[in-house]
Amino acid sequence: MPEPATDDPVATDAEPAAGTPAETEAPTEPTTVDALVEEVEAAPTRKLGVLGWVSIVWLVGITLAALLASWLPLPDPDRSYLEIVRVGPVQPGHLLGGDGNGRDMLSRVIFGARTSLWISVGAVGLGSVVGGVLGLVAGYFRGRVDTVVSMLFNVLLSIPALVLALSLVAVFASAEQDVSDTRKTNVIILALAIVTVPLIGRIARASTLSWSEREFVRAAEVLGASHLRIMVREVLPNVLPAMASIALLGIAVAIVAEGSLALLGVGVRDVPSWGNMIADGRSDLARAPHIVAVPSIATFLTVMALNYLGDVVRARFDVREGGL
Amino acid sequence: MTAPTESETLLEVTDLRTRFRTPAGTVRAVDGVSLTLDRGRTLGIVGESGSGKSVLSRSIMGLLPKRNVTCEGSIVYDGREISSLPPAERRKLWGADMAMVFQDPMTALNPVIRIGRQITEGLRFHLGLDRRTANENALALLRSVGIPEPERRMKQYPHELSGGMRQRIMIAVALACGPKLLFADEPTTALDVTVQAQILNLLARQQRERNMAMVLVTHDLGVVAGRADDIAVMYAGQIVEKAPTATLFANVRMPYTEALLASIPKLDEPRRTRLKAIPGRPPSLIDPPPGCRFAPRCPYAQERCHREAPPLRESEPGHVYRCWYPVGVEPRRDGAADRTDTPTPTGAR
Amino acid sequence: MTLARELGKRFLSLAVVLFLVTLFTALLISMVPGDPVDTLVPLAESEEADALKAQVREDLNLDEPLHVRYASWLRDFVFGDERGEHFGDYFRVSGRDPVSNRLAEALPVSLQLMVYSQVLALVVAIPLGVLTAYRAGSLFDKVTNTGAFALMAVPTFVLGLALAYYIGVWLNWVPPSGYVPFGEDPVEHVRRMVLPSLTLAAGQIAVYMRLLRSDMVATLQEDFIQMARSKGISDQRVLWRHALRPSSLTLLTVAGMNVGTLIGGAVVVEVIFSIPGMGTAISQAIFERQYVALQSFVAVLAILYVVVNFAVDILYAVVDPRIRHARARN
Ligand SMILES: Nc1ncnc2c1ncn2[C@@H]1O[C@H](COP(=O)(O)OP(=O)(O)OP(=O)(O)O)[C@@H](O)[C@H]1O
Ligand SMILES: [Mg+2]
Repeated sequence: MPEPATDDPVATDAEPAAGTPAETEAPTEPTTVDALVEEVEAAPTRKLGVLGWVSIVWLVGITLAALLASWLPLPDPDRSYLEIVRVGPVQPGHLLGGDGNGRDMLSRVIFGARTSLWISVGAVGLGSVVGGVLGLVAGYFRGRVDTVVSMLFNVLLSIPALVLALSLVAVFASAEQDVSDTRKTNVIILALAIVTVPLIGRIARASTLSWSEREFVRAAEVLGASHLRIMVREVLPNVLPAMASIALLGIAVAIVAEGSLALLGVGVRDVPSWGNMIADGRSDLARAPHIVAVPSIATFLTVMALNYLGDVVRARFDVREGGL
Repeated sequence: MTAPTESETLLEVTDLRTRFRTPAGTVRAVDGVSLTLDRGRTLGIVGESGSGKSVLSRSIMGLLPKRNVTCEGSIVYDGREISSLPPAERRKLWGADMAMVFQDPMTALNPVIRIGRQITEGLRFHLGLDRRTANENALALLRSVGIPEPERRMKQYPHELSGGMRQRIMIAVALACGPKLLFADEPTTALDVTVQAQILNLLARQQRERNMAMVLVTHDLGVVAGRADDIAVMYAGQIVEKAPTATLFANVRMPYTEALLASIPKLDEPRRTRLKAIPGRPPSLIDPPPGCRFAPRCPYAQERCHREAPPLRESEPGHVYRCWYPVGVEPRRDGAADRTDTPTPTGAR
Repeated sequence: MTLARELGKRFLSLAVVLFLVTLFTALLISMVPGDPVDTLVPLAESEEADALKAQVREDLNLDEPLHVRYASWLRDFVFGDERGEHFGDYFRVSGRDPVSNRLAEALPVSLQLMVYSQVLALVVAIPLGVLTAYRAGSLFDKVTNTGAFALMAVPTFVLGLALAYYIGVWLNWVPPSGYVPFGEDPVEHVRRMVLPSLTLAAGQIAVYMRLLRSDMVATLQEDFIQMARSKGISDQRVLWRHALRPSSLTLLTVAGMNVGTLIGGAVVVEVIFSIPGMGTAISQAIFERQYVALQSFVAVLAILYVVVNFAVDILYAVVDPRIRHARARN
């Protein structure tokens, strides 16, 4: 079936390669110069490496800290301590100093992680499920369904993601409407999930397109397996790595998006998040740069770890994506 | 033909070794190759895929990747030692003194540059010609390699031409600056059978007209049979037999060459382009067998073959081979062969 | 013939995309909790306020069902309203103001910012991508790649804040915020656009560089590169004349698709550096509940996005003659 002209050519030619480790191990020396050089090039990125482990440790650590924040021996993130107003790290009892209101930075950055991670993981999780299902269905059934779904993706892509999220949040959870933070969080999650849908959906579709051509899928069809069964049992497991690599990048993007929304004044207000900590610290940049620096560094490290792991997954499964 | 002051020898390679460092280990792609080539003559290099033919010609030219490669040995070109030249000096020889025709015309021409530019590029770079003169030269070149409507072709892109056409273009590119030495690396493997002979004849004619020496690389002994003055047979990075063409075909010594010969298609059989006749696979170049490298696949292999590497020995003038129990020397028994032949450890002539 | 068909297909898909995008923005207004007029005209009870509210209600067809409201917006957008204005009105306490005025002010500013940052990004990323590919595996390559990787993880707003503060305020090299039109004072214009452009370009530099590097590394393995080298031309020439163009297709695609990211980035950057562009206009429209304006702004941006990607597609054919010919054939 010819591709619709609006589709970008890169996304459509994503083809999964069976990169089984056993294959690379066999001592069959490549006959051509090119094959060998390629292998040399690709080799380092396939392994997790030290950086990969550092990334995992950081992400696990920050997630655990966020989950256990209430039980950790931390000061109340909302309580003001006069002695640490705009005082930088390292203070006795307040490792990372205090913010403009004298609230403990360490405690806030950990509670902030809870908000930021919950929003980004929730959004990407939701977006991945919806996008994944749409992409899978479109790629598997093709034809009309595919045209409609692809069109939907194109529409969503042609509204700048941040503008889309901004409008949704502003309409459903704006500042003067006096909405609860829970509602605001949910709206932000929903808005960012909508933005994630086409990103995940396109890669899922492209990947499904090529996998559903494979013999084992054909064989399952011939054997009379139901479409649902084939999609879930045969196609999905192969499409997942591609989706996973994009989802990791998506979480990173969502963390940054949460920050952008906070900076634009529509983020969560009452609980700390990395975004609103940075936004709040703006005015104190001259006197107390650590107020911005601490959550910025947390964001930076988390985003970098996610990007790195996304790269590793992508290299490992030879995912070619059409850019984010 | 040649001026009296010039020596007859154009190229003399001694004990060339090329190694690639890879994660799997060091690949000894060329392992102690020596050869000589006189002006205007043709040397055929024959061997299975992976035997190091391309790496050998690229090593001589100096056209290897920059990283993780070591290349040792002496390469004397036109009386000058070039193996130790700095890369920039070495590059000056490319195109102007030595040029290469690549195996696959489908991938060896730049897909996004017009044919004309690809030919004139070298002319303008080496000879400093202006655009018009370079274009005229290119047109003449295209005509001489038998391309119809050269004016139109100049403006086309490679994908608009057939494989045979592209190979002719590639030859024109290689010949543009009048090199004295041409490496033709399997110039016909990727082409239709009907076009193969045309291209080989074209190369031979150009070679004659220009008094150019040529290294003709192929895995098909049949291709070099009527065209090369000398033939070197390569196996696992080494030359295992080398002789003037007639001598080689008359007195094959090396069982590997014999196997290659057996795989030349007969006239009455359908023509094959790849030889598959020899059972087994070539050895690993990272960790080659201790004895004769061909021994694991050799039908005549004896216990000694697996143990001791045979030296390169001369049986008659100009005919060297690397075998303990050469073909056609009876009896094929331990020690018998040693007495008939004189070993020449370094010998390449 | 073929080009006409291609164009036709493009326009059709553009039309559908625009229809759905603007329908979505029209939907937004119906979803606002409470009476949208009260949020649009946040005034206390008074004669004027009531008059304005009535006018707004009528203007926006707020009492009509969605499809009527949408149809009237669309008619105005395409053909112009009774005054010949295409983009509807921006409501103020003082009265109403055509959105086209806002667009005329904001769009050029944003375009400048985006063009500057894209040019900057490409000018830095292309040489870096080419050189790191050429020296793949070297120390220079590793350092550059690591730097790029780190740069990708710096959120735009963090970079913007840091640049505005440290370079703008602390070092005081260039003004930390504000905008001056080029026509008014070219030098000052450039001085004020440096930091915002740099902020917006930074992430793109890293992405483009890495993309180009990986494609270029693959291209450098190609036979035709060996062939070009074997002509004896300089490595520089091999890199720039022979290898760059065939390696740049992915870069082009991503640069085209990046327009969306770029616009999102521009929103943040414009707010940080107080630049009166589309980003500022959009966030203002959102906060002031100017949904008609928002609808028009978003429609304009969507058109921009689709047009840029169409242009990229054409560029494709310029870069790669194989695509050009394949298209000409069917
Ligand atoms: N850049 C490289 N790095 C590592 N190993 C290499 C490299 N180039 C070539 N080799 C190895 O050197 C050996 C010889 O390769 P070469 O290309 O010279 O074979 P060939 O005789 O030309 O074969 P063919 O008929 O397939 O062209 C092969 O085993 C190959 O894997
Ligand atoms: Mg070869």
